[in-house]
Amino acid sequence: MTIGTLIDKQDVFEITRDKIAVILATESASQQALATAAAKDPNLWKLRVYTERSNPWELFRDDPADVSPIVNVWFENSNFPKSKGNVVSRQEATATYNIDCYGYGVSADNPAGGHVPGDEQGAFEAQRAIRLTRNILMAAHYTYLDLRGTISGRWLRTVSMFQPQIDSRAVEQCVAGRLALDVALNEYAPQIDNDPTIDTLDYVSVDVKRAEDGQVVAEADFDYSP
Amino acid sequence: MGLRATAEADLAGILEDKTAGFGWDITITDPAGSPASLVGYSNDIGLSIDPDTGQAVSGRRASIALRISSLTAAGLGIPMGIVDSTSKPWVVTFDDINGTAHTFKVQESHPDRAIGMVTCLLELYDV
Repeated sequence: MTIGTLIDKQDVFEITRDKIAVILATESASQQALATAAAKDPNLWKLRVYTERSNPWELFRDDPADVSPIVNVWFENSNFPKSKGNVVSRQEATATYNIDCYGYGVSADNPAGGHVPGDEQGAFEAQRAIRLTRNILMAAHYTYLDLRGTISGRWLRTVSMFQPQIDSRAVEQCVAGRLALDVALNEYAPQIDNDPTIDTLDYVSVDVKRAEDGQVVAEADFDYSP
Repeated sequence: MGLRATAEADLAGILEDKTAGFGWDITITDPAGSPASLVGYSNDIGLSIDPDTGQAVSGRRASIALRISSLTAAGLGIPMGIVDSTSKPWVVTFDDINGTAHTFKVQESHPDRAIGMVTCLLELYDV
């Protein structure tokens, strides 16, 4: 006997990864609108969000005019403890997502005297992105990442910064930081058709809007002046 | 002339020969704002670097090598990385092979006072 239905759905770990990215993109746009309303520079709340990119930092070189931090959300692993869930339909897992925040700094002349060091700027940019990301994902609004019932909780396990390798000094000052986010979620698998002992489940999904280069864009429109 | 002095004299051909060697026009400005047009060896290449995120990313490394005696003759000292933000850095400008000028600041320098050459690692600098 084979599985009679086509497996044509995303697993919850994929949905959750996309949801994290959508939340960050949407809230970043919302924060920029709030900053504009407060007469502050909205660019300080701008994040460029991507998922599963192997080299998001390349964007700093492709478009040097935009130096806003880049955030890359990627799935690392899921752990399935045998004591949670059941062997038939539902398994509870703890999925770990790495949210890498890249900050970019270029040394520049200071007309008032001296110069602005790029290494410090790159680190501050990365930490500003970490600050925004942590506050957004750990806000009470997103206790269940807008997927209550599918996700039973999330916990920020670590925040760590990466120091550039001295032997690999590049002309650009790029500093990265990582937030490791653990999410408790349920994964489901195909069931035998017409089995009355198994509850019928509705599949969840996330609608992700992307720009041409793959950048995740906000779900809603916000008014702000860049 | 001993071998060490010979090695220093050979730098004229190794670093500063624009006709038959790899010599390239380089403009260097010290923190006091004094510029000097020298000939030396310049490098600006792409490379793979590891920011410790588990994914190597593409980067860019630039460097120059200059004869110390030429710097002295131009009235300049040995370039070094300036971390004090209240001071101007050593600024270096040179063209790439296609004639586009690029401006850098000296990130760190490695002078070899034995044979009279200084190598400077560069980072991008906006003027």
